[in-house]
Amino acid sequence: MANNVMGVFQYEDEFLAAAQQLRDSGYDKLTLMTPIPIHASEKIQGLGKSNVRRFTLFGALLGAVCGMALAVGTALVYILPTGGRPIITIPPYLVITYEMTILLGILFTLFGFHIVSGLPAWNDKIYRIESGVDRFTLVVDLGDGADPVQAENIIRESGAEEVSRLEGDA
Amino acid sequence: MAEYSPPSYADVNRDVMRTILETGPKYWMLLGGSVLVAVTCFFVPWIHQLNVGIGTAGMNRSAMWGSYLSNFIFWIGLSHSGTLLSAVLHITQSDWRKAIYRSAEAMTLFSLVTAALFVMVHVGRVWFVHWIAPIPNQMGLWPNFRSPLSFDVMAVTTYLTASSVFIYMGSVPDFAAVRDSSTGMRRRLYTIFSFGWRGTTREWHTLGWAYTFFAVLVIPLAVSVHSIVSWDFALSIIPGLHHTIFAPYFVCGAIYSGTAGIVTVMFLIRKYLNFERYIRQIHLDNLAKLLIVLSSIWTYINIMELFNTWYGGNSEAIEALNWRLTGFYAPLFWEMILCCTFVPMLMWTKKIRHNWKAMLIISLLINLGMLTERFIIVATSLPRKFLPDAYGFYFPSIVEIIITIGSFAIFTTLFLIFIKWVPSVSIYEVKETLKPLRRADNGE
Repeated sequence: MANNVMGVFQYEDEFLAAAQQLRDSGYDKLTLMTPIPIHASEKIQGLGKSNVRRFTLFGALLGAVCGMALAVGTALVYILPTGGRPIITIPPYLVITYEMTILLGILFTLFGFHIVSGLPAWNDKIYRIESGVDRFTLVVDLGDGADPVQAENIIRESGAEEVSRLEGDA
Repeated sequence: MAEYSPPSYADVNRDVMRTILETGPKYWMLLGGSVLVAVTCFFVPWIHQLNVGIGTAGMNRSAMWGSYLSNFIFWIGLSHSGTLLSAVLHITQSDWRKAIYRSAEAMTLFSLVTAALFVMVHVGRVWFVHWIAPIPNQMGLWPNFRSPLSFDVMAVTTYLTASSVFIYMGSVPDFAAVRDSSTGMRRRLYTIFSFGWRGTTREWHTLGWAYTFFAVLVIPLAVSVHSIVSWDFALSIIPGLHHTIFAPYFVCGAIYSGTAGIVTVMFLIRKYLNFERYIRQIHLDNLAKLLIVLSSIWTYINIMELFNTWYGGNSEAIEALNWRLTGFYAPLFWEMILCCTFVPMLMWTKKIRHNWKAMLIISLLINLGMLTERFIIVATSLPRKFLPDAYGFYFPSIVEIIITIGSFAIFTTLFLIFIKWVPSVSIYEVKETLKPLRRADNGE
């Protein structure tokens, strides 16, 4: 039995209107696929500040600590006196700290991107190739046993080029 | 001039996919030629050097550093505009960035790889190069993190990693587009490359945030990288190198040569990949204006360097300056001034700024000037330090000259491989600059 309804739109405004109407009608499990990022669709889905930022902050702080620890730790493990200067010399070690801050900040942002976005997702999911070109696709996950007619009507009346029922993971 | 007709969304996909999916004999001939030159002019002489020893290069007792390091600085510098400019323009939401940034970032990446190769060539016994990395070993030895060379390793490694992540993440939606346009093995590969991207709102939202953070982190990183490269020189006490102005001088020079490099690459991909509809006069004009600004800053810093040395009154520094201005390498110095100060003045006229061929020539001359600048920094300072009886001389050997030529072939090879694997114009970002697909706007 089909548990998803998919609508394909030619126009962004009609697609957004359909998504908003579905949302207002209580359909929470919406997947919106677009060829370009659209901020209005983020609003419809209630996406605010991304949690990626927490990963970046954590990575940068960890990098700073690791950078300083690396420079100080290795200087203490292998003592290399230079011209009577202190063994732990902060100014040059700040350069290492700075680089490590950025390095781990970047790597943790990358990690955070994967965690938050749910990618990689190589398993088969509902997808229309056209939504990577010039079409706007929405998929409503109705759950088991729900009547798809109302959702279909909303999508069709909003101006969808194509409406279909599909089984699978949205 | 023909009136500009903006492409549709489908046109963008088709035009960019064509550069990846259709490969003609010209491409293979160019790639084959480039690989041949890279092997014969870079790797064969390098193997020869490994065989007979570093003495085959022109470096000597007073001139411990030579063209390998000046090439290293040049390539690091060339890498500077791609990622940096892309990041700055992303943060400032400049739409004109979108058609050109991908190839500019690729330039960054491959310039860095070429630069890293020069370090390998320079160190002589390349099989010990891992000693600079903080790897536990049975001797209990660790790198000296007070040394600018250790800073350099950290900075360049971080920059290489960050630039790779930056270009890859920006390309993920476009990898999905390649996946959707291909079949068989290529489709399977691009499914992996694209992480199964579908363009859902959550994916775009997360990518947008992550990409902005990458950009924010990459900007200070790029500035730090060339500052640190400058400290390799400026933290010494050698006359001609010991300048506090070196960090901004190097960073400015790097962005300058990188921007000129973008103009060169932009001209080539526009012409040979038929991207006339995407890479347009506005890009050329904006980059030309940027080059004028950078040229002015670069010239100002050069004047300051001369003035400070003269006004400082240090006899060794003045002697080094005099030799730079009037000695054996003076023609190279004045060639650099001509290429990097006077030639860019041509861009004050709109006619030149809008002429693709003129801009190509200017961009090549700027980079010739910048290559010379880096050579002069190394070749006129180290051989002539404090005591005249210890003065030496450095002139690159034939092996160094051939390896320098080979490095350009390595860069070209990597770039040619890139344009067949990664969309060289960002598909989704170009679409963002087009008229939105709205029924209200389409008059229906």
